[in-house]
Amino acid sequence: MFGQVIANNFGLFAQGYLTTILLSVSALAAALAIGALMASMRVWGGPVLSAIAGFYVEFFRNTPLLIQLFFFAVVLAPANLGITRDAVVVAIIGLSIYTGAFATEAIRSGILAVDPGQIEAARSLALGPVATIRLIVLPQAIRTVIPPLGNVASALVRNTSVAYAIGAREFLFMGILVQSRTFSPEPYLGILLGYWSLTIPLAIGLSRLERRMVFAR
Amino acid sequence: MTAVRRVRRSASLLGGYLGLAIVLGAIVVLVAAGVLSERRWAPFGDIRVWQFLGQGLWVTVQIGGVALVISLVVAVPLALARINLHHSVRWIVVGWIELVRATPVLALVLGITLFMPRDWLEPMWSATLALTIYTSAILAEILRAGIQSIPTGEVHAARSLGLSYVLTMRLVVLPQAFSRMMPALVSQMITLIKDTSLVSIAAVSELAGFARSTHSFYGNPAETYFVVACIYFVINYTLSRVARRLELQRAKEPPVVIPGGLDQESGRVV
Repeated sequence: MFGQVIANNFGLFAQGYLTTILLSVSALAAALAIGALMASMRVWGGPVLSAIAGFYVEFFRNTPLLIQLFFFAVVLAPANLGITRDAVVVAIIGLSIYTGAFATEAIRSGILAVDPGQIEAARSLALGPVATIRLIVLPQAIRTVIPPLGNVASALVRNTSVAYAIGAREFLFMGILVQSRTFSPEPYLGILLGYWSLTIPLAIGLSRLERRMVFAR
Repeated sequence: MTAVRRVRRSASLLGGYLGLAIVLGAIVVLVAAGVLSERRWAPFGDIRVWQFLGQGLWVTVQIGGVALVISLVVAVPLALARINLHHSVRWIVVGWIELVRATPVLALVLGITLFMPRDWLEPMWSATLALTIYTSAILAEILRAGIQSIPTGEVHAARSLGLSYVLTMRLVVLPQAFSRMMPALVSQMITLIKDTSLVSIAAVSELAGFARSTHSFYGNPAETYFVVACIYFVINYTLSRVARRLELQRAKEPPVVIPGGLDQESGRVV
């Protein structure tokens, strides 16, 4: 009967599902922080900081996540830097840095999309630089930045599966584990349904939001 | 003034290569100074290591090339079906595209290589099939956006001049749509090249797989993965510069306005 194998191994599936959510949420938070910092460096940082942030974005965007995770797994291991051997921690660090590159680009384009005339107008109305950014730039930038950041988040949820390769016990790992024990196709269908339960609501919410944003302008 | 701007522009266009050169130069200096282990970096002074990695790169190019070409061919009917089919059957195409897009690529690669009988398809081509399924769904969406950005007036004009639907698509709509979707297409190519590394998890050896053999022979995983990352970077960064070029060229063309519709490029209501 369908569902039997999944029910028998429900604990493993639940643990993997929660790990995938943990990976997504913590890497997203860190990626947003990296993105905000790097985008500020890129836009307001002067030639040196801007070049560093630019190289960060280009390098991590154009390299496979898998290679990055392998690299971090080795470098962070006790034999080298000695920071951690926990695959989930390595995956969070790797995913944050990889996703941070995409977040930087999204946030940067949001900042640049604000009409410079708006900033000039705010400044000539005697708003200070901080007040200008807080009251004029950010509210408008957030509006343009949310749809692309949503895409980044949705890609991140799917990318957490790559952590399987460094042995993080996330959802795909558990599914393949159960599959190799039972030789049944059922765990695999469980994996697909599990990922869809995360990514499809995200995609629907995003397209709703996007439609509303377009008309709000 | 213009000379300064030109220098600055070429610096920003080629900044990635410059950054890479600085990082590699720093590594050479640090190895010479004895900060980084010479034993672990020495293999990359040997031409045979590069020939070996080159073999892996050739497999990557084969997998990526085949997946790209087949995806392009499959994406056209998928996009046209999504646009034209009656809504009672269209949901099948929409559902397929959306489900594939909502699936992690690695889950597709592992699933298909796991369940495909080996005498039907070798693992390498099963993995390529998985990448093709994913890429064709994305390309279909890109193509749909491209087709729908062509003003309907052009289609009506072509049809009223007596062109059949197929000829209208072939001569009027698709050439323009393809030229508009070129930047998006090139960035999808970059994603595809990055995703080919995932097939090494399904025991198919391409560049990432050959990297594993290299470092298990020389005992230098961190260094090998860094060098391989640089190889991917040079290829993908070059492609991304091409995409950027195409985008700048497109920006010179007058924007297309669809009365009462949605401007696909800026997302504004016209």
